[in-house]
Amino acid sequence: MIARARLAIGLVALVAGRMGQAEPALPPPYAGAYQPQGVDEQGLWALMDEEERRFAQSDMVMREAALQAYVTKVLCDTVGADRCGATRVYIVRVPVFNASMSPNGLMQVYSGLLLRVHSEAELGAVLGHEFGHFEARHSLEQLKTQRSSGDVMAWAFVLANMAPSYDVVRAYRNLQLTIIGNFYRFGRNQEREADGLGIGYLNSSALRPQAAAQVWERLMSEFTADARAKGLKKPRFDRIPFYATHPPEAERAATLTLLARPDAATRDDGAARYRAALAPWLPQLLEDQIKLNDFGASEFIIQSLAESGWTAPLWHARGELYRMRGAPRDLVHAAQFYAQAIALDDTHAEAHRGLGLSLLKSGQTAPGQQALRRYLALKPDAPDAKLIGMMIPKEVPAP
Amino acid sequence: MMPGLVRAILAVLVAALLSPAAMAHKLREQGVAVTIADSPLTVTPGRDWNRLDGNIGKRTENWTLDGGQLNDLTFFAGIEPGKPLVRERSKKREPLPRFGASTLLVEIPELFEATYRSAKQIADFRVTDVQPIRFLGQEGVMFAFEYVDGDELTRKGEAQAAIVGGRLYMISFDAPRLHYFARTVEDYRKIVASARLP
Repeated sequence: MIARARLAIGLVALVAGRMGQAEPALPPPYAGAYQPQGVDEQGLWALMDEEERRFAQSDMVMREAALQAYVTKVLCDTVGADRCGATRVYIVRVPVFNASMSPNGLMQVYSGLLLRVHSEAELGAVLGHEFGHFEARHSLEQLKTQRSSGDVMAWAFVLANMAPSYDVVRAYRNLQLTIIGNFYRFGRNQEREADGLGIGYLNSSALRPQAAAQVWERLMSEFTADARAKGLKKPRFDRIPFYATHPPEAERAATLTLLARPDAATRDDGAARYRAALAPWLPQLLEDQIKLNDFGASEFIIQSLAESGWTAPLWHARGELYRMRGAPRDLVHAAQFYAQAIALDDTHAEAHRGLGLSLLKSGQTAPGQQALRRYLALKPDAPDAKLIGMMIPKEVPAP
Repeated sequence: MMPGLVRAILAVLVAALLSPAAMAHKLREQGVAVTIADSPLTVTPGRDWNRLDGNIGKRTENWTLDGGQLNDLTFFAGIEPGKPLVRERSKKREPLPRFGASTLLVEIPELFEATYRSAKQIADFRVTDVQPIRFLGQEGVMFAFEYVDGDELTRKGEAQAAIVGGRLYMISFDAPRLHYFARTVEDYRKIVASARLP
């Protein structure tokens, strides 16, 4: 209770600070390891503990120890070593921008988030925001919402069972996911509070708090680019899982900028460290994004990652993206992008494969076969080696 | 409530109320040759199967033994160039990759992979093997794959495909890696071996 009161005072100070002059936010004093109070909260924690036992075994969790340790370190650098002791970080292989934290300290970080942030400070901003929800125990306030959606679920389940077709089962499953999502949808004021806490952690860390606004702005740009590529009038920001109920974009960006400590603007944001740490996983993260057939968003992500310099994996990913769309002009571009990847790294087997296929499809048989030969030389045990091998001697359409 | 939730509830309600009259699954009996999705493709099952009526596309058909989540046999009977493998939820907002006139045989596994990934919004999908084969009397491709679906279960699958007269013919099978795949994969291979085009 004392802990709670101290937290409340801290938050009041925080909000008061925001209402007055632009004063940088600082987190409230840490209250120490918290134990759930009362039946509601104890029940919620028990439920989440059970869920965590199941979730820890899930096939969706990425079990790469080095990556997990790095993300945990960024969280600890952001919120401080004492606070971060209350959490367990799980990295989930889902190609969307999202992270969430359960009331018992289980933090889920989606692989799509790791692809979209560019520095330790940006990752810390998102993780700190989620940690803010945890520290302020917003999920308890949401318990009532969860109860009423529980009734909706019960009825949907009964109705779905009356019609045992695959589509209905799938719709029911979507509904279940949506409601679980709903459980983590906080109110607008709770989001503001978590923003304040999140940036408070960054302010008192060694990372650059101004990065928080950057994450937000880049995500809005990605959705705008995606909508433009699809020929939509305007992007649907309410479809972004992480930001669905968050304050309007302009307000948010302004608030985040306002709350960041001005004198911290020159701090290191850890971009170089982040790139180095993520480098081994970047090709897989890019592949997961590109194969979603979401041209506008994928192109935006590649371009924004390339702002810090083009690399062979980035050129290769761009080639794959264009070859997959597959219009004649795309194949010409794809071949150029693969060639750029090869210029930077001649041993990039997949780039030779993509180059060969793009050239063959645009009618340049001889150079295409040459590239495929190089692919097989570099990767003789590739899964498709036999089929590619058959394409080399006799080859496709005579001109 | 957000629109996604409302839509999902409506989908469940509508499907639940309409389905008893509108939907009926069909038995596909052992040894009886049947045509697939009103196309020239015929197969002769080596055992009884159930054809599901939850239609996922104009030229597709779904068969199962224990339900679509446990063994899913899908026929793609003559996909035309410029069309996706299955029906799109929203052509504009959630487009699926398309089979094209210039698609190569070696790109069919990629097309299948990208379709699964974008239709299911999943990230963990691996093509584990690709082999040249004869299918429907033509040069074809066999590929094996493994993926983790949104229900957090790992599934294994296999598919055979050929491009005949500019159209894609493919039969795919996937089932949970644990128990179900190994149990039924031979029944799937018998169906593939029985597939004929006139």
